[in-house]
Amino acid sequence: MKLQTVKYDSLFTRLDFRSKLVVMLSVTILAFLWESPIAGGLLMLSVISFCLLAGVRLNYLGNILKVMIPFYIFLILSMGFFNVEQVKLLTHKTELTTLFSLPQTWWLVGNAKMSLEGTLYGLNIVFKTLTMILVIPLAIFTTDVNQMTVGMVRVKIPYKVVFIFSSTLRFVPLLLEEVQSIIESQRLRGLNFEKMGLLKKAQIYAKVAVPLILNSLSKSQKLEIVLQSKAFSGSSNRTYLHESALTTPDYLLMTGSTLLFVTAIALYFGFGIGKFAWLLYT
Amino acid sequence: MQAIAVLDKVSYIYPNSKETVLKDISLSINKGEFLGIIGATGAGKTTLCLALTGIVPQFYGGRFFGAIAIAGLDSLEHPVSELARHVGIVFEDPEIQITATSVENEIAFALENLCVPREEILRRIPIVLKSVRLEGFEKKNPQELSGGQKQRLAIAAALALQPDLLILDEPTSQLDPIGSQEVFATVKELKEELGVAIVMVSHAAEEMAEFCDRLALLANGKLLAVGTPDEIYAQVDLLEQNKLRPPEVAQAFSQIQHKGINTPSSDLEVMMGGAERRPSLPQKSCHLSQIPVTLDAGIVALNELRSQTSPSDPPIFTASTHSNKPPVLSVQNLKHTYDDGTEALKNISLDIHEGEYVLIVGQNGAGKSTLVKHFLNLLKPTSGKVLVGDRDTRELSVSDLAQSIGYLAQNPDNQIFNTSVEQEVAFALPFLGYAPDVVKQETERSLKAMQLWDQRHAHPLSLPKGERGRIVIAALLAMNPEIIIFDEPTTGQDYQGASSILEVSRQLHQMGKTVIVITHHLYLMPDYADRAIVMGKGTILLDAPLRQAYHQTDLLESTYLTPPQSVTLSQKLSTLCDRDYPLITPTEFANCFTPLPV
Repeated sequence: MKLQTVKYDSLFTRLDFRSKLVVMLSVTILAFLWESPIAGGLLMLSVISFCLLAGVRLNYLGNILKVMIPFYIFLILSMGFFNVEQVKLLTHKTELTTLFSLPQTWWLVGNAKMSLEGTLYGLNIVFKTLTMILVIPLAIFTTDVNQMTVGMVRVKIPYKVVFIFSSTLRFVPLLLEEVQSIIESQRLRGLNFEKMGLLKKAQIYAKVAVPLILNSLSKSQKLEIVLQSKAFSGSSNRTYLHESALTTPDYLLMTGSTLLFVTAIALYFGFGIGKFAWLLYT
Repeated sequence: MQAIAVLDKVSYIYPNSKETVLKDISLSINKGEFLGIIGATGAGKTTLCLALTGIVPQFYGGRFFGAIAIAGLDSLEHPVSELARHVGIVFEDPEIQITATSVENEIAFALENLCVPREEILRRIPIVLKSVRLEGFEKKNPQELSGGQKQRLAIAAALALQPDLLILDEPTSQLDPIGSQEVFATVKELKEELGVAIVMVSHAAEEMAEFCDRLALLANGKLLAVGTPDEIYAQVDLLEQNKLRPPEVAQAFSQIQHKGINTPSSDLEVMMGGAERRPSLPQKSCHLSQIPVTLDAGIVALNELRSQTSPSDPPIFTASTHSNKPPVLSVQNLKHTYDDGTEALKNISLDIHEGEYVLIVGQNGAGKSTLVKHFLNLLKPTSGKVLVGDRDTRELSVSDLAQSIGYLAQNPDNQIFNTSVEQEVAFALPFLGYAPDVVKQETERSLKAMQLWDQRHAHPLSLPKGERGRIVIAALLAMNPEIIIFDEPTTGQDYQGASSILEVSRQLHQMGKTVIVITHHLYLMPDYADRAIVMGKGTILLDAPLRQAYHQTDLLESTYLTPPQSVTLSQKLSTLCDRDYPLITPTEFANCFTPLPV
């Protein structure tokens, strides 16, 4: 098992990690700022398209959706039913458009109305979070770990922090394999997980922590000695095998995204483009 | 000869400890020599290696006495990073010592830390990769390498610093035979071609006898003896007193010598380099013995012996037979193909009968683990079936099977979760529907059978590793399984540790259990197993009584398994006498020789 990376060479893989960081930052701030489901949706669709163009696998995107769907359904329902005052304020409306209402006889939530405006607001949050989640693989999966490391050092992140990041990428897959092997060992001790209740299962899984922590402690002690023998001090005063050089496409990308970002901010505050009511309510 | 490292009366105590782990050690390591360090677990071998890098005491602290000079630099006065330019070290665990995510970055890591210019790093990478035969692997992720390749990468990373001394601390103990052979061959080449001084800690006695120029024997932190492999390994009694296993050749000829038969031979002396080496004997050398310690020297000695004495007739061995008993485990036309298309098992069929002790051997990737996972229903057959008794494993859950098959993992610590030995043994029983009084009764029975009754209140992890394996076996035994599987129980263990766990397997066998052991260490098994299954590339290459299987040397070697030296000696004896000697242990070999009547 290892960290997922895209399989083929493209413009995305050739770009410097620093320029990708600028894009990541701009997109994240815009996604955070915009409340309009139209603007947010377009931003999310662009990020998804770029992910696919860059070679991020569809099943990875599918897995993210699978994990997030329960949360999103909850979000849309709760916003649709209960986010009334905020959307009234944002749309300057006194009455919201009802999509449907619950039967009066239902306990506690009887007669509750699902509003179109609330639902749209919920969708806006879904788009926001998806954009923020998907822009990460777009930057990370298309960058070689070593380029990432050097890029981070170049933006003055202390080498100690960068080393923790890069060694995490090396050791987390090992840790996950170990968890798998410990769970397998427990099953071989005769524990029938299939027939256990949730609580019992949770208790047993918690016991995985005992060998896992002990093994990890022993490994980290060994790692400390290994690092000593490799003259590691954590100091940023070192040389690097990989170079991180900004090329014309990097400069273009950084300038382009900064300009777009500034323009979007100006349009948002000057003309309300990207605000919740944009193109939906006057 | 010029010394690259000199230890002068070195003693060391770890912080918060009263035990002196190194005691008054004086030793010189010469430029370009291959020094082996041998000793039982806890003898101080790893501490000595760390002291040679300056990590002890600079990183650990503690109390350090005496002095170590590495390439003329005092290990206390110069930082570890400066010493790292002169001493490289490779550790036991191939996983933990590789910190980078590509081969070239792993090699560059220490150089980058030492501020070596990028151009110089780029120059050194292909050179060191070539020296460990990993050219073309620059961009690979180390996770994609085999165990032997990982250790070779670790050696390359250490070599990139262009050290005068390379230390290898049990570099082969976790490798399969191919990986082990790769590492020994690489180290030998480095010594011969680059002239790097090598210090290697290893329990592989046969290889150490062959490759080392000198051996240092450590026991309880003391340097007991230093000398050529011929001088050290010939002292079989001394090694056995210190819980070490001499090469089988030495064991066999030592036993012959104990019978009053001497093997004086001028050829043998030349073979052992005795005459030349005597003047340069180190400070604690012992008397020159006539006992050969390498296979080549053993064959020369055997020729001499044969010319002086007539071996007795070959003993007759009767193979134990279980074929009349019903199989407890039956594999029928089993095939398994993994999702990525790898054909891991190709039409395997075998029966294992009640009360058998079966050895499964083969390289990594031969299909051993895949086969055993089918026994335990951790994998489902692509086609064919596995029957435990008369029940198809596909119809049984893993926990149902656990009551028929006990499985001891390679690392028993992964199977330990509780806070006392007693709780650990009783842990799974309530989940299997045992009543509280039966749980108590079975736990007691099992603890007593494994001699753990007195330690029942102790924390499992407070006991030594060998004992922890026994705790898991006690827990398995409490479920009263018919079959017990030991998965590589001897990997990473010294001779004493390996023997003690195999003794437990013998005890279980004597209790009537069917025992299956997976291991690479063929020399450990003659006293235990009675049948061997040799696997290779997803097929059963050989399924025969152990004695017969060990003598299929060409087949074993084709799958990189090394038959015990006793087997090679007995085959030589068969050729010399024109009779078949189906011997597999040093004792059996020695017993074929009796002193001539005076």
